[in-house]
Amino acid sequence: MEFRPRNYVAEEQSHALPRSRADIHPLSSPSPQPILRQVDDSAENRTTEEFFDPLRAPDSNPSVEVVDENDFERSSNGIDDSVQVQTKEWTSFKRLLMQRFPVSKMISVSSMSNTIVRSGKAHEKSSSSTHLEELDDSQKSSEESAKVITRQEYVSRLHELKDEINRAWHNEDRVKSLKLSIKVARLLMDTSVLNFYPTLFVLVTDVLDMLGEMVWERIRQKAEFAEDGARFCSLRAENFGASDVPADAKETCYNWFCKVGTIRELLPRIYLELAIFPCWRFLIEQPAESLQRLVTMTRGLADPLASAYCRLYIAHRAQKLLSHETGHLITCVNDIKLIFTRMSSTKETARGGFDDSKRPLVSLMEPSVEFIMKSIFNDASPRRVGRVLVDLGIWRSQEELFCGSPCVSIVLHHLLKELPTDIVCFHALDILQLINCSNDNSYDQYLNYRLVGLRLSEQMSQIATVDAIVNEVIQVVSEYGLDEYLKVVDAYLDIILQNQMDGHLKTILECILKMASDKVLAEDELASLQSILVKLLSHFKDLEHVFSLNHFLQILDMMHGSSRSIVNMHILDMATRNGYVHDPTTIQLLFEISQALHSDTDLVNMKNDDNQQQARLISRFVRMVDHGAAYERHLEFLAECRGAFGSIIELKEILVHSSNCLATKALKDGQNHTGFVKSCIGFSEVTIPSISGHIKQLNLYLETAEVALLGGLVSHSDGLIDSAINCLQSSDLVEGSRTVDSDGILSSIRKLCSLLIMVPGNPEVGILHIPKSILSIIQSRSWSPRLRARLLCAIISLSATLSQERLPYHVDQPEIMGNDLLFFGDSSYVHELLSLMESVLPNLVDIIEQESSRAARGSMSLEACNCIASSFKINEHVLPICSKLIETAKSCLNANDKYLTSTISFLDKNLHAATVPSSITI
Amino acid sequence: MSTKIELSLSRPNRIYRPSEPLEGKIVVKSASSISHYGIRIALNGSVTLQVRGGSAGVIESLYGVLKPITILNRIIEIKPSGKFVSGTTEIPFSITLRNPKEEDSERFYETFHGTDISIQYLATVEIMRGYLHKSLSATVEFIVESDKADLLNQPVSPEMVIFYITQDTQRHPILPELKSGGFRITGRISTQCPMLEPLGGELTVEASALPICSIDIHLLRVESILLGERIITETSLVQTTQIADGDIFRNMTVPIYVILPRLLTCPTVLAGPFSIEFKVAIVISFQSELSRLHPKSDPLTPRLWMAMETLPLELVRTR
Repeated sequence: MEFRPRNYVAEEQSHALPRSRADIHPLSSPSPQPILRQVDDSAENRTTEEFFDPLRAPDSNPSVEVVDENDFERSSNGIDDSVQVQTKEWTSFKRLLMQRFPVSKMISVSSMSNTIVRSGKAHEKSSSSTHLEELDDSQKSSEESAKVITRQEYVSRLHELKDEINRAWHNEDRVKSLKLSIKVARLLMDTSVLNFYPTLFVLVTDVLDMLGEMVWERIRQKAEFAEDGARFCSLRAENFGASDVPADAKETCYNWFCKVGTIRELLPRIYLELAIFPCWRFLIEQPAESLQRLVTMTRGLADPLASAYCRLYIAHRAQKLLSHETGHLITCVNDIKLIFTRMSSTKETARGGFDDSKRPLVSLMEPSVEFIMKSIFNDASPRRVGRVLVDLGIWRSQEELFCGSPCVSIVLHHLLKELPTDIVCFHALDILQLINCSNDNSYDQYLNYRLVGLRLSEQMSQIATVDAIVNEVIQVVSEYGLDEYLKVVDAYLDIILQNQMDGHLKTILECILKMASDKVLAEDELASLQSILVKLLSHFKDLEHVFSLNHFLQILDMMHGSSRSIVNMHILDMATRNGYVHDPTTIQLLFEISQALHSDTDLVNMKNDDNQQQARLISRFVRMVDHGAAYERHLEFLAECRGAFGSIIELKEILVHSSNCLATKALKDGQNHTGFVKSCIGFSEVTIPSISGHIKQLNLYLETAEVALLGGLVSHSDGLIDSAINCLQSSDLVEGSRTVDSDGILSSIRKLCSLLIMVPGNPEVGILHIPKSILSIIQSRSWSPRLRARLLCAIISLSATLSQERLPYHVDQPEIMGNDLLFFGDSSYVHELLSLMESVLPNLVDIIEQESSRAARGSMSLEACNCIASSFKINEHVLPICSKLIETAKSCLNANDKYLTSTISFLDKNLHAATVPSSITI
Repeated sequence: MSTKIELSLSRPNRIYRPSEPLEGKIVVKSASSISHYGIRIALNGSVTLQVRGGSAGVIESLYGVLKPITILNRIIEIKPSGKFVSGTTEIPFSITLRNPKEEDSERFYETFHGTDISIQYLATVEIMRGYLHKSLSATVEFIVESDKADLLNQPVSPEMVIFYITQDTQRHPILPELKSGGFRITGRISTQCPMLEPLGGELTVEASALPICSIDIHLLRVESILLGERIITETSLVQTTQIADGDIFRNMTVPIYVILPRLLTCPTVLAGPFSIEFKVAIVISFQSELSRLHPKSDPLTPRLWMAMETLPLELVRTR
């Protein structure tokens, strides 16, 4: 057996590909787009504002745009689409409505609700019962005393009723369905459990919507099909008129309205008519006109809550008509305004505000205002917006605009939310004026100021009079307490920053500091502060600029908890995004910030996904720190980090990498840094054992060994390689149960092998001491045949390379001699290598035979064959092994396999011309 | 299995006008074939008058049911004697309601079901089966509405009467605090109303010393029967429609919108022996402790905590 001599220089030249310069980095991307923020003023969103993940940015962008397009195109889109959108909106509205108002578990059911309490049998009245009896029934029930049932019972009873109505309907007992539905609608007359009312409303209207749907279907069928089932006309949902409907169907339809009309009580009568309201289309050409009547009928409901929800139901059912008519909605809003005005003026305080006891009621009524307002401005044209504003009494006329009379602030709030942005921007000053004079306590005035700020931020370029607006707002907020101050200022901050109003910014920061300095910040205040600081951070490109802002750091110091962590994370993110951090003061500051972040983070849950981001940011910061030529200082810094952030595993790896990197840099400097390099290697060596994971340790040891070698510290590197081997040895023992990361092991050992080429052999322990220990590890492990075969190949390649008269690469240190020089011409050295190989080669063949998968066996054989052919001269010793491997490959693989044919031709080429030239043919 | 007979009319709502033919089919379901001696349909329409309670005295009420007034009484042969095969047999028919030969027949009053007066039209089919078998029969009610030709040509005047209700317009005693504090409810309401249109109007509470509990519109019918020399009149409630629930805002107008119930109303009739008229009552109930003590009171009885205004209402059938 004989190793094949190689000329690496010549081989490299013959195999190298021509290179050409590239101007653009293939992976570089265009600069990130600014992120559009959507205004959402709901309290939940404010407090749960999370750390902004830049990777999500592109996602949120298109979604915003899509919504805009929809708004724009809705009128041209199919009606089906808008119906779907409406249905979806209503569904989510209902869900929010039920979640918004917490209800205690028990509900006292007043008199009226015998439908709920008396289970099952509530409605055994024969269908011939007269209206008078109906009347009696409701009166009888009012004598029953109040009962208490659980919310769950109430809800499930309503679900039962819904099923019952559905069943009765499908059993052709439509009268029963109607009667039960009326009973269900009557439940809404009871507003005694305030917070349960929204839930009740959702449940009841669900039932009524279902009934309405069934009635609509029935009449439509009656209109479309003759009694014998023949279809005689087709009513396309979008556009049929009453004139297309046959008399018979009209008759049935009118009957339904008659039946509903006989309901004595006002509230259920309105609700039932609304349920079947779309059916007016079968009877009259302009059903929208009836809406106005229903709206005025609602005025007969004196209970503010009941009437507000009734108007909500009107707005919902009116959508079914698909008309753009908003007159009825405007009347609704004006009526609700009147209710609020009366609520605030009657008996209560002379100052004309809302008693605090009224606030819960106001907030219960809010969803109604919200939904109606949304419906009014749903794809409204600019002209219509003007008309709406006049009708709502906000504008005096389309020409004179703002009339300066106050508006109920809760109504104003939802109006401002829905107004088109350009109107808000154009009339911002007037709007601020309007807010100023609308201070009735039905809604917090500062929230309206805040909302305007947020709306203005949507289209900052369009704001006409920025200075005046900001001046006005700053003046208003100067009288506020901290929480309100922060919330309003937060909304205007973008505008202030965008317009470089540095004076205002200074004032704001001073004010915040002054107000916050002597108190513990509450959750809400922290959330606002967080938002403000994050806005500042994202506005200024340069972190040092932010730090130099007056009071920024002081304000940051006052914060605590998760808000501070989030700000800190933003700071770290920003600090490390634009390359290395050089400035020592900044580094010190960031180190302190990292420490704060680290101590605020729950160490117990370090594995928690939430905390990984913190760990990653701190690690990245440590990695990005650059003390330049102050190597000693940098190493000190790394040691400090090791002490401070001990619990972050990821960071320790970075510390090792950094210290190795530092050593390399020092070495490259050319001056004598041996002492410093030793400290770096010592630092790494001490740090590595605390990192969990043997393969990780192994790689870090190898990296450090390489650095040691580079520094000319042979004994250090020997020690490190020994530690690496130890790691390898203990790896399986500890991680035995888990599946072995074979690719990881393979690449680590290959890396070790390539390192060994540079390491001078140590005759004291035997020059092949390390390859032999690797071999014994391979033998003792139950690794897969594939991994073992590949490792053996690595050893073969290593030995073949070591046998060369000139090694392919050397340590960049003249005093360290490679094995080629140490053992030049030493035949015993080559002999030892060859004798090692004599045991390895058969072993390799055996291992390949152990592989169970045919395809894998085939490719492994070829791989081994290639390795052997490039390592040895093909002679009578080696050829049988190669032939055997080729046979194995042939038996496993397709004869046309490319790998197989190229391996064979490679063998052929390398075969000595003299020796059996035709022994291997296909 | 016995033989079943059914009478089914051509219109699901069973409404016919005197000049129109009553159409439909007789459905006979029989297990075996049966023979018969002829099929006839009897049409019967009558005004049933009954005196009870109301302004009738004890003696009058003893009379009980008065002799009904016949409007229509005809028997029409549909088929001569013959035989049904087993299974389902359908025999269509078509009968003109108004007999063109009888010029001076009774007027076809519209169907009406009241307390004392009832105007009803029945169609009865009878299959004669000789003496050995009971004859088979089935009856359905059909509803008669006035002929379009007989109706008023001019549209009903949209005029409304203006009403105002105050403590001074009340003819019954009211609570002292109401009397002294006062109240004023104004509005307008139509007093002539087409059958198929809602009774319309509006109402405004301008002032009220006591909070309002409810405002209801009562639709009343007034049935009068000529009994000997006396006219016995009974007023009864047809339907109550609440238009305000609770203490509604002052000076905010609420609409009056009452859909007239079918069958329980008919065009106002002023015949010789009887008359059917309607009234509308606007009743305002004020919140009062007293009302809780009498929760089940008859809504028509004037109470201390109520104010009301009753107006005549003429119902008309329009084209």
